[in-house]
Amino acid sequence: MKVTAQPSADTLTLLLDGELDASSAIVLDTELAKPDILNYRKVLVDCAKLSYISSAGLGVFISHLQRFQDANVKLVFFNMQEKVFNVFEILGLDALMTIVPSAAEAEAA
Amino acid sequence: MPQRLLSFLLPFSLLSWGVLLLSALSHSGAGPWLGTWPDWATQLAQGAFVLGVFLYYRYRPSPLQGQAFIRLLRRLLAGPGLLALGCIGLHLLERLMKNQPVFGSNSLLFTSIYTLNLGLFVIFLARTNYAWRALVLFRSSPRLQREWTIFEVLLGATLLFRLVGVNPPNYLSIPLVVGLGLYGIYLSGHQKWVAYLSQREKWRAVLLQAGLLFSVLVFVQYFRVTQVDPQLIAPQPQYAFLLLTAFFSAFYALMGLLVTFFNLPIADVIEQRRNEILRLQRLTQIIQRGQTTAEVYRILLESAVQTVQADAAWLDLDPGHANVEAAAATQYHNLNPAQADDLRTRLRGHDLPEGEFITNDLNARVGFEGTVQEFRSLLQLPLRGLHFNYGMLYLLKVKPHTFDREDLSILQTFTSQAVLSIENLELVRTSLENQRTQEELKIASQVQDSLIPKNLPTDNWFDISSHSLAAKEVGGDFYDFLHLPGRRLAVIIGDVSGKGVTAAFHMAQMKGIFHSLMQENPLAKNERDKFPVPSRFMAQANAALTHCLEKSSFITSSLYIIDYEQGGFVFARAGHCHTLYYHALREEVFYFESTGLGLGIIRNESYEKHIKNQFYDYSPGDVMVIYTDGIVEARGGDGTDEYGEDRLKLRLEESYFQEAEDIKNFILNDLNAFTLGHPIHDDQTLLVIKFKSAQPPPLA
Repeated sequence: MKVTAQPSADTLTLLLDGELDASSAIVLDTELAKPDILNYRKVLVDCAKLSYISSAGLGVFISHLQRFQDANVKLVFFNMQEKVFNVFEILGLDALMTIVPSAAEAEAA
Repeated sequence: MPQRLLSFLLPFSLLSWGVLLLSALSHSGAGPWLGTWPDWATQLAQGAFVLGVFLYYRYRPSPLQGQAFIRLLRRLLAGPGLLALGCIGLHLLERLMKNQPVFGSNSLLFTSIYTLNLGLFVIFLARTNYAWRALVLFRSSPRLQREWTIFEVLLGATLLFRLVGVNPPNYLSIPLVVGLGLYGIYLSGHQKWVAYLSQREKWRAVLLQAGLLFSVLVFVQYFRVTQVDPQLIAPQPQYAFLLLTAFFSAFYALMGLLVTFFNLPIADVIEQRRNEILRLQRLTQIIQRGQTTAEVYRILLESAVQTVQADAAWLDLDPGHANVEAAAATQYHNLNPAQADDLRTRLRGHDLPEGEFITNDLNARVGFEGTVQEFRSLLQLPLRGLHFNYGMLYLLKVKPHTFDREDLSILQTFTSQAVLSIENLELVRTSLENQRTQEELKIASQVQDSLIPKNLPTDNWFDISSHSLAAKEVGGDFYDFLHLPGRRLAVIIGDVSGKGVTAAFHMAQMKGIFHSLMQENPLAKNERDKFPVPSRFMAQANAALTHCLEKSSFITSSLYIIDYEQGGFVFARAGHCHTLYYHALREEVFYFESTGLGLGIIRNESYEKHIKNQFYDYSPGDVMVIYTDGIVEARGGDGTDEYGEDRLKLRLEESYFQEAEDIKNFILNDLNAFTLGHPIHDDQTLLVIKFKSAQPPPLA
């Protein structure tokens, strides 16, 4: 699992590459837990190369969800593979998080 | 055999000596009643006596017990040595009495004593020879043992010279005797035992061997004198044999004496080496006695000091790794902490080498300029472990230039042995701890097992079969049943995110929440409201979990309340896997499409907006398959393929007509075939519920 952060003016794009499971969840948590991440208006998560997400991986996003909302930072997922989207959907997270098909839509969101 | 031979040899020797005495007396004119015996009889008696005595000592148990060399020498001196004394005594007595005619013929007395002394001499030689054999063969090679046997056989052969009554010509006998003498010298070179003596023992060995040499000389002198005595009428004894054995006895004693004597100057070095080995052994044994790490360090310091004879020493342990209490992290020997502190600071101030080194004059060392150190020599040695250093050992001596590489290498053996002991102790400790944890996990597993319902609800309108398997000792999956009044049954299934002990705790919590929320509400206005509907239950459970679930954990769950009277069920899905359903009338298998958020994701009242009830009417023959993601996400193939919802659906399509138990087994068999060779990585739970008509349909 590789997490690449690409900051721009008011947007931070996180590229996830690989499988997000209990061991790699720590890497992502470290990235999301950085205090200055709340200075961005939007955090976009590019899931194009995310091939699998476990409950521990979901737990990382869930644990930061409230913090992002409180700070008015939008969390947007895009380019999500169907298999991964299913996991979000079954848990009911699609109703809670913004998940859009493409980068363009993510920018616009 | 030797035992029987021994009991025969003793009387045989005595008898032959008696015969020898009689024959000797016959020559000295004891009386006409004895006559004069032929020479060959004397020779034969002599030979038999010598043979008997030598064989007797040959087959006796070895005089050397263990490494009691000094005892062997002492007994040899106390026995044969006294014999020699007796020999002198007899000789003097005979000299005193030979002018007293009272005792009859002088020649008679002389011959008697001579024969007696000859007997004593033979016994002396036999004992000494076989004592030397024990020393020569001490820790010997098989080759040396063969060489000794050849020596014995050759010596025995010289006995025959006289026995057969022929005197071999000199050109044959002299080289043979000289050759055997040289052979004896060669054998005398085997003095391995001397190395095993301590310094004190060596001194004693020297004295004892000198005593033995003296005994041999006394005998030899006696026979030299008596040989030329005109009173000796008896035939000549077995000179070749006695000469050779006497020579060997004396020469071996002489060699032993010399070897021991010249070993004396290096005795302390050998002793020191022996002590080093003993200390190393002690260090090794500590671990077997299960002593503490602190003790190992203490013994290391002690042994190191004694081995190199250091004047002072201290041991700095790394409290992070050495696994000792902070108070025991530094140990001193003959040194006060302030001195050690001073040395440590000075050494550290000038880039201390990481490894071992020797400073031969501290006064001249960088960092010590202008100081006058009490200790001039310093040896520093790290306690190297596999991954890190456990600490550093410092040894000090007052005099400069007193440590050498030799000290360093023996100390390195000590430290590595100590580290090995420490690491072994650590291993033992962790394995004990692991064992305890395993035991506790086993108990946890048993407790959790008791939380899973064993007796599935039974009624004539449905049929239930269940399966659950945890990936580790304990897991986060759960299911439960509760009969509600009015022929209703509550079925719950759930999955706590994560695995292992944490998940198991939350699973137990969830079970508690289920049973406490599914209590009859006495204030309810109508019968149906006495128990919470699934969505209400989920909202309440979510609220209850708010404070007991850590931030990144969540629980997915589905609650079904099946109502037989109404022939339907209501359920709510809180982020749990979709329910798989076979509809008997439509003959169709499908997944319920419903929305609902997992528990613990939103931790406020707004959760209620995210959970819905779904109502459904069932008909007899319908099958409901409830499961956790451990089933559909089970891995097979190359490790990335998942079992999947589609495959599960296909299996139900093939098996819906069977009993619940058979459907479950059919699915599990397929799952096992799919995951063959892959470890289960998530807890698996599978429930199959088959609805039936209340009464069996009437026979057509």
